[in-house]
Amino acid sequence: MVQINFAQKTVNVKIVYYGPGMSGKTTNLEIIHQRAPEGNRGDLTSISTDGDRTLFFDYMPLDLGTVAGMRTAFQLYTVPGQVYYNSTRKLVLQGVDGIIFIADSSASMINQNLESLRNLEENLNEYGKSLATLPHVIQLNKRDLPDAMSVEELSRAMNAHNAPLFEAIASSGQGVFPTLKALAAGVLRNIMSEGGTKAPFPAPTAGAAQAHAAPQRSQVDASPQRQAAAPQRQAARQPAPFTHPAPHAMPSLAGHPGYPQTAGMPAAGGGFLAPGPAPMVHAPVAGPPHAHAHPPQSGGLQLAQPMPSGANLQLAPVGRPQPQRQAPAGGAHAGLGAPAPARQARATAPAKARPSAARPAAAAPEKSSRGRFTPVLIVVGAGVGALLAWVLMNVL
Amino acid sequence: MSREPLNRDENLRKQRLVFYENDVQRLNAEIDTFLELSKARCALLVDRDGHLVTRRGEPVRTSEDTVSALIAGSFAATREMARLLGENEFAILFHQGTRDSIQLQLIGERTLLATLFDGRTNLGMVRFYAQETAGRLAEVLETIHSQIRKADLNADFGTRAEDALDKLF
Repeated sequence: MVQINFAQKTVNVKIVYYGPGMSGKTTNLEIIHQRAPEGNRGDLTSISTDGDRTLFFDYMPLDLGTVAGMRTAFQLYTVPGQVYYNSTRKLVLQGVDGIIFIADSSASMINQNLESLRNLEENLNEYGKSLATLPHVIQLNKRDLPDAMSVEELSRAMNAHNAPLFEAIASSGQGVFPTLKALAAGVLRNIMSEGGTKAPFPAPTAGAAQAHAAPQRSQVDASPQRQAAAPQRQAARQPAPFTHPAPHAMPSLAGHPGYPQTAGMPAAGGGFLAPGPAPMVHAPVAGPPHAHAHPPQSGGLQLAQPMPSGANLQLAPVGRPQPQRQAPAGGAHAGLGAPAPARQARATAPAKARPSAARPAAAAPEKSSRGRFTPVLIVVGAGVGALLAWVLMNVL
Repeated sequence: MSREPLNRDENLRKQRLVFYENDVQRLNAEIDTFLELSKARCALLVDRDGHLVTRRGEPVRTSEDTVSALIAGSFAATREMARLLGENEFAILFHQGTRDSIQLQLIGERTLLATLFDGRTNLGMVRFYAQETAGRLAEVLETIHSQIRKADLNADFGTRAEDALDKLF
């Protein structure tokens, strides 16, 4: 929940990245950590397993700076994607103010996406919340996969609440910031609404499907008035343009009064949504296809990988290498193609965890050597006994 | 057990945490007394979502935001464990280090008091005075949470926030 502290002059907002395993939640956070201005970002902390899978959450504070006298900060969390970790996933949702759902565009992952979405709704219901009213956006990640489903198909399958959709290739940074910005703007608008009689988020109206012309630039917003008013600022805040047109169509949010992604918030704190022309809310991307492996063992929610006892847990500002979930987008995205960021540091979890794993291993050889000598001892004992018996019988 | 989603407005009013200056002054006064009596290094009051409410005593060496998030995460995980074991809650957690230790104590329904202490005092002292302080803090927090509070943010907060977002991204 939003915390407004007039003594500390702070506004704290909790945003959670949700989605199936390996969909790119942590990668999104890593990119934000890498590219956000140093003065605005905090350490990226991760509680993950040895295998670099998120165990509890990744966390990073993002400071928006002082806004109208209040230091406004977003607390960004990711959840573990694997089914096995549902209990911890649910805990991270406590007090959430906005959700970024990271979907894997691969056709082979559609079931995992849907399962994760269903699981999200269930977990939100546990806290008395619902996607129908909670600010959320959907990021369609890994758009460069050869088997990526079209935006239209994914939208039809997953976007029941007409949330803004963003295309992304998180491993190269494309679409990461537009997604976050759209949600942040929505949540801030929600704060101003103060639970009054404002329009719910997202808009209840359904968007009409319409082919889009695959614009050449990432487009997050799109209030035409605003675009006209501040073209320079807008250009500056857009990610580098993509060089290939998106080869698909998506349902436009025409008629969808919400998500004027960069439209000005109502001064008096209007609802999350404002009526207006249909905004183009997705950032079409295209890039050289690269191989995202989705091996059956590692893909998403179908995968339950119980952590082995005594597993080495990782906690902390970390320096983990970018997992090879996606090959870097190359070619024309030179500016965006930098290797994914490393987490800052990593501390190892309670040392107690390790000895517990080591102990059985150390005990095993001891036991086996003892077992090897047992027959020898029996034979020797029997021999000595027989000798004593012979001495007793013949000498005495 | 799933609950029906609450009406959005009702939900927001119930869930939003708004602290006014005099609230935090009262909380600070209680925590200052606690630190003086227990000789602990510092105390953080953190809400269950991981947001820091106030910190008294020596500053934390690393990011207070991150420590607060981890405190809340740690407590949430333990709470879930308690539930699975048939307990309602483990109200107190204690992590012992070689130099510093930390005790976490649940205050009321949605706030945690984290006390960092070192060799200048001991667990018994901290626990004893924390228990006493918890009751008093709970009363203050209950008053705060029971009121429907208006967050009197400037009317142009939204516009300025948007400008800040534009600048940041």
